[in-house]
Amino acid sequence: MIVCVAVVGHQNNPLYIQSFTDADDALKLHHIVHCSLDVVDERVNNPKKAGPTLNETFLGLLYPSENFKVYGYLTNTKVKFILVTTELDVKDGDMRNFFRKFHSVYVDAVSNPFHVPGKKITSKTFAERVSTLVKSFGSSSAA
Amino acid sequence: MGREVSESCVDSLLTEMVSSYCNSFYANKPDLAARRIEAIGYQVGHQLSERYTMDRPRFGDHLEAIKFICKDFWSELFKKQIDNLKTNHRGTFVLQDNRFRWLTRMSVEPTPESPDASDDPESKASQATSMHLYFPCGIIRGALSNLGIPCAVSADISNLPACSFVVRIKV
Repeated sequence: MIVCVAVVGHQNNPLYIQSFTDADDALKLHHIVHCSLDVVDERVNNPKKAGPTLNETFLGLLYPSENFKVYGYLTNTKVKFILVTTELDVKDGDMRNFFRKFHSVYVDAVSNPFHVPGKKITSKTFAERVSTLVKSFGSSSAA
Repeated sequence: MGREVSESCVDSLLTEMVSSYCNSFYANKPDLAARRIEAIGYQVGHQLSERYTMDRPRFGDHLEAIKFICKDFWSELFKKQIDNLKTNHRGTFVLQDNRFRWLTRMSVEPTPESPDASDDPESKASQATSMHLYFPCGIIRGALSNLGIPCAVSADISNLPACSFVVRIKV
């Protein structure tokens, strides 16, 4: 189950962050997302470590913690997508697929002429599409 | 399959936008009108670059990004690639299009009377044409800045349908 997704701008400014848990742990999840930004920077600035996945948008598993796994994705325009999941064995392919869909939803949202670049995404349609995507991810990998 | 846009509609929209900004909104301030048109192009380029770079790996350096603009980005916009790319390897790139689509239907206004009038029709025509080039300049600048390359873009018209864009990357 995906518990949190976040979109972070190129200056590490939050553009969108949403948790999908019933428990009151939003703050904890935000903290995890915040920590993962350093891992993204490290990956991108140390090309040696990245190895074969050099310059790929999908960054893979950023770091595992006790209960969560954090995945990252960096677009060409230096926008980061961070995803926190409780599932411990997720296929990279599924994750890639999710991020690709998520990216296209994001692109649709920022192509809105009323969206101001660099500001938070307030579109309701975006929020709805993201939550549908998150829900469908949970059900497809459980099945 | 992407949605298609009528080419003549885009042409008319561009012409109308330029004429509204030059003749009614900022009739006596051509500099301000140019800046506004450039800003519209900037936003368009900013958003288009987000969409067109979706399925490709990140760019390693500036040249790769410029090549992307010349090839894929230009093909998406104008169904052709940039014809010639020159660079001095110090941050200046010249992108030459021998038949720039938005200028192909541009005609020089017929000269009304004596050719040696005070305001030369030749320069007037080139001024009108250059007004139409602020929009594509803005598009290029918007796309490149969204890819993390701040730059300044200007356009040169040599002989009408041909045109070149000069990109200067800010260090």
